[in-house]
Amino acid sequence: MNELFSRVIRVQWSGLLAVCILAVLALTIVSPNFLSEYNAFVFLRSLCVSLLVAYSQMVMLGVGQMNLSIGALGGLVAVIVGGLMDAWGVPTLPAIAIALAAGGVAGLVNGWLTVRTGINGFIVTLATGSAFAGINLGITKAIPFYNLPADFVAFGNGRLGPIPNLLIVPLIVSVLLVVFFSRTVTGRHMLAVGGNSHAAELSGLSPNKAIIEAHALSGLLAAAAGILAVAQLGSAQPSIGADWLIISFAAPIIGGASLAGGSISITGTLLAVVLIGLIQNAMVLLQVDPYWVTFLLGALILAAVWLNRYRAVRVGED
Amino acid sequence: MNIISRGGLAALLACSVASAPLAAVASDNRIVLTPGGPHPYFAPWEQAAADAAKDFGIAAVEYKVPSEWKLELQTELVESSAAQGYTAFGIFPGDAVGVNSVVGELKSNGIPSVALGGCAQDPTDMAFCMATDVYASAYLGTKSLIEAMGGKGAVVHLAGLLVDPNTTLRVQAVEKAVAETNGAVTLLQTVGDTDNQEQGDQKINALLAAQKDQIGGMIATGYISSVVAATALRNLGDKRIKFIGIDDDKIVLDGIRDGFVAGTMAQNPYGQGYIGAYALDLLAGGCTVKADAPFIQTPQTARFIDSGTLLISADNIDSYGDDLKKLTGELQASFKDKFLAC
Amino acid sequence: MTVQEPIAAPSSKWSLSGLLLRGSTQFGLLVILVVMWVVLSSIAPGFLSRFNLNSLGRSVAIDIVIGFAQMVVLATGGMNLAVGAIGICSVMAFGYLLQVLGLPIPVAIAATLLMGAAMGWLNGIAIVRTGVNSFVVTLASASLFSGAMLILTRAVPYNALPPAIGEFGKAAVGPVPALLIVAVAIGIALYVLFRHTVLGRELLAVGASERAAQMSGVPVGRTITIAHVLSGMLAAAAAMMLTARLAAAMPSVAGDDWLLPSFLAPVIGGTALAGGAVSVIGTVLGALLVSTIRSGLLILQVGNFWLPLFLGAFLLAAILLERYRALLVQRHRTRNA
Repeated sequence: MNELFSRVIRVQWSGLLAVCILAVLALTIVSPNFLSEYNAFVFLRSLCVSLLVAYSQMVMLGVGQMNLSIGALGGLVAVIVGGLMDAWGVPTLPAIAIALAAGGVAGLVNGWLTVRTGINGFIVTLATGSAFAGINLGITKAIPFYNLPADFVAFGNGRLGPIPNLLIVPLIVSVLLVVFFSRTVTGRHMLAVGGNSHAAELSGLSPNKAIIEAHALSGLLAAAAGILAVAQLGSAQPSIGADWLIISFAAPIIGGASLAGGSISITGTLLAVVLIGLIQNAMVLLQVDPYWVTFLLGALILAAVWLNRYRAVRVGED
Repeated sequence: MNIISRGGLAALLACSVASAPLAAVASDNRIVLTPGGPHPYFAPWEQAAADAAKDFGIAAVEYKVPSEWKLELQTELVESSAAQGYTAFGIFPGDAVGVNSVVGELKSNGIPSVALGGCAQDPTDMAFCMATDVYASAYLGTKSLIEAMGGKGAVVHLAGLLVDPNTTLRVQAVEKAVAETNGAVTLLQTVGDTDNQEQGDQKINALLAAQKDQIGGMIATGYISSVVAATALRNLGDKRIKFIGIDDDKIVLDGIRDGFVAGTMAQNPYGQGYIGAYALDLLAGGCTVKADAPFIQTPQTARFIDSGTLLISADNIDSYGDDLKKLTGELQASFKDKFLAC
Repeated sequence: MTVQEPIAAPSSKWSLSGLLLRGSTQFGLLVILVVMWVVLSSIAPGFLSRFNLNSLGRSVAIDIVIGFAQMVVLATGGMNLAVGAIGICSVMAFGYLLQVLGLPIPVAIAATLLMGAAMGWLNGIAIVRTGVNSFVVTLASASLFSGAMLILTRAVPYNALPPAIGEFGKAAVGPVPALLIVAVAIGIALYVLFRHTVLGRELLAVGASERAAQMSGVPVGRTITIAHVLSGMLAAAAAMMLTARLAAAMPSVAGDDWLLPSFLAPVIGGTALAGGAVSVIGTVLGALLVSTIRSGLLILQVGNFWLPLFLGAFLLAAILLERYRALLVQRHRTRNA
């Protein structure tokens, strides 16, 4: 038993897992509604978009870069997919394929600009983010696309018991990312470049190639998040993505990714998204005074992070 | 900035008179209508601007939108337009208090402005405010909701941005309407920051998940909150919970047609833009606001003009557009005599 | 990777190339700015109008100080996501002190600065004591600070401040707004701090390499805490300037809105995100560049909704141009060497 415990505590994300389990237990006791089928559905559905957004940034952190254009890119893809289906009458699947491709291309542009110009990726994506937002507003004039195909909207609202259909997408993506970063050469090269760009270059890897690939992947994930958001909301709102920035960084970093690059944790990111979702869900369930919500959110995140840090210090890892 | 409102008004009168010779021909005026940021609520302003320019023979009426909801960007937009020689401004304040500094500057340069769609907080140099009274609208909406609920049950208020002072007014209005039932109706919960697609979707759904059975009715006082709540009720397939929204977004109207939404408080954005441009043209042409004009006193300002609000329900859903048009026509026809001295 | 390290860590401070490179980014930005101003004033008559310059000057002044608030933390290799949250708390505290308590203006200014410093100190202590990344700590503390502000004030604005506040916001010495003078004065103080004081060198040394700094006897924890205290004070200063500009204190004007501008100005100006290199003048020029592009686009009446697209494109073009110029300079230098 003791050995099991000491092994568990060595896993990087075990602190987060413990906090999540504690939170679920506490909520179940305090609010009987928490485990109701419908609330479970609502809770799980609220994770879907955030997860993809968090992964999109996590990939960039993996190569030691940042992508500030994730929200703008997701918003642009959201109106593209909405516009294709509403204004152009493109069927659902081709529309999704085109929108995903657009996201990938936008990511490639980010990557190409970063590598070719040698300008800091932070500035490049800040500028392209502004450009994406401009195209979004220029197309829509802030008016959403409403008339989406029924099958598409039904997918966004459908569920199997407490499990939302939407959850399928981030789950598949999670598995693919785990395989990608642990089994494929490209994935491992990315982390090697993120860990130490110079050493990676000396051993014959191309940091530039890895950065471009990471941006393309990040763009694809942000695009998927945008499409999912449209399915979830039932209309393509130009404001989608406007407040993704904070969660995109918070989740991977709380989950154990290093801002310096080279170290990411997919499970950690997943647990961090779950934790933030739990806190937000609890605020509504427990009827917290709206003016207190922001304060408590901050306090709880700080507590969770500190607990995880405490565990890491105890184990002696740094 | 302790200019009391009458002082501000007097100064405004002086400025308007001073600028009168410049704008002797009314059609020389170039007017800007600017919302606080991109939002579907203001879409009718574009048409209103074009119609006003045509109907009243104004040189230019332009609809200019700040690229984001930031007071700073609105201020820059207004100031740079003034630098280019625009002569009058219709502004939806990006912030009720913060907008006053730029309006004061405009005034000191002899350029009149009016608040449209939402008011600036007194003391202000806005000539007047023409909008839906947020307090009255939330109060009337809650009254209609209580009526739809049969006079008893528990109400939830889906409020907008907490940093917006208007939210505080709306919260008070809902509380007042609930209090007037002497306990027959209770306010179960106020949920804040729901006027945003993603946050709103999560919060409203979590609320329904937790307390669907306790909730008798919901009132939303934000545009997006209404859309999200209407969608959520439709997805849930729940027609028991009565819901009153705000504004006439297509999703909310469809909700009324299909019975998921009891009603929505329509506002009159077209009228605000159309009459606002008309009044600005006259103000920039030398007219002044009458000292004894029949303004309404609100918590925000002493010079309020109601642009009209009405409850859209299943009964008038197909005709409310005509009702609003009629309202706008009547308001415009008597506007000059009632409020201005030319 | 970065060519320009205007005020580099102590080790390379006196080398000749360091000296030559020092001016380069700022010089490049300055050239681009001058070209922009000439072009804009010749094609858009409203651009140089007193009205427009006045408004440009005042908004730039606030952006500059917001940039400084981030810059001092970037110097140590950290980040402060709570700049905006400290900003709104300071705005509301300033309003409360003046309007409700009726304190004299200098006392209120001092108290607000002190409060900003205290919030920064809390950030610094939390980072140093827990060893958690500054990004995460300030992300959470931003929620804490703005949440506390909401609980205490219920977001009700203060709009009956002493008239002197608003008058200062509008005041100008000749064509230069008073607020811009304040920003420049703060800039000079920071320049002196980073160039000529032990503390400034310690901040940069910690940013360049925490371990090396520790070994050479720099008190790393204390230095990081001081950086956050400074950042908090600068955020409070920016908040009071904003209050003066708007002649009222309200909670909706700062917060998240400050996040990107706070990074934009220093990073364009040559401050490294990784720490160890800052440029005070670069931050000023970076803020000017962004505001000039935005103001220019507005004056040119570039279509409403497309504005962010052009803003992004012009920003990218300007930075590319500067980058290209820096490369040319470098190539020229290697050829001569």
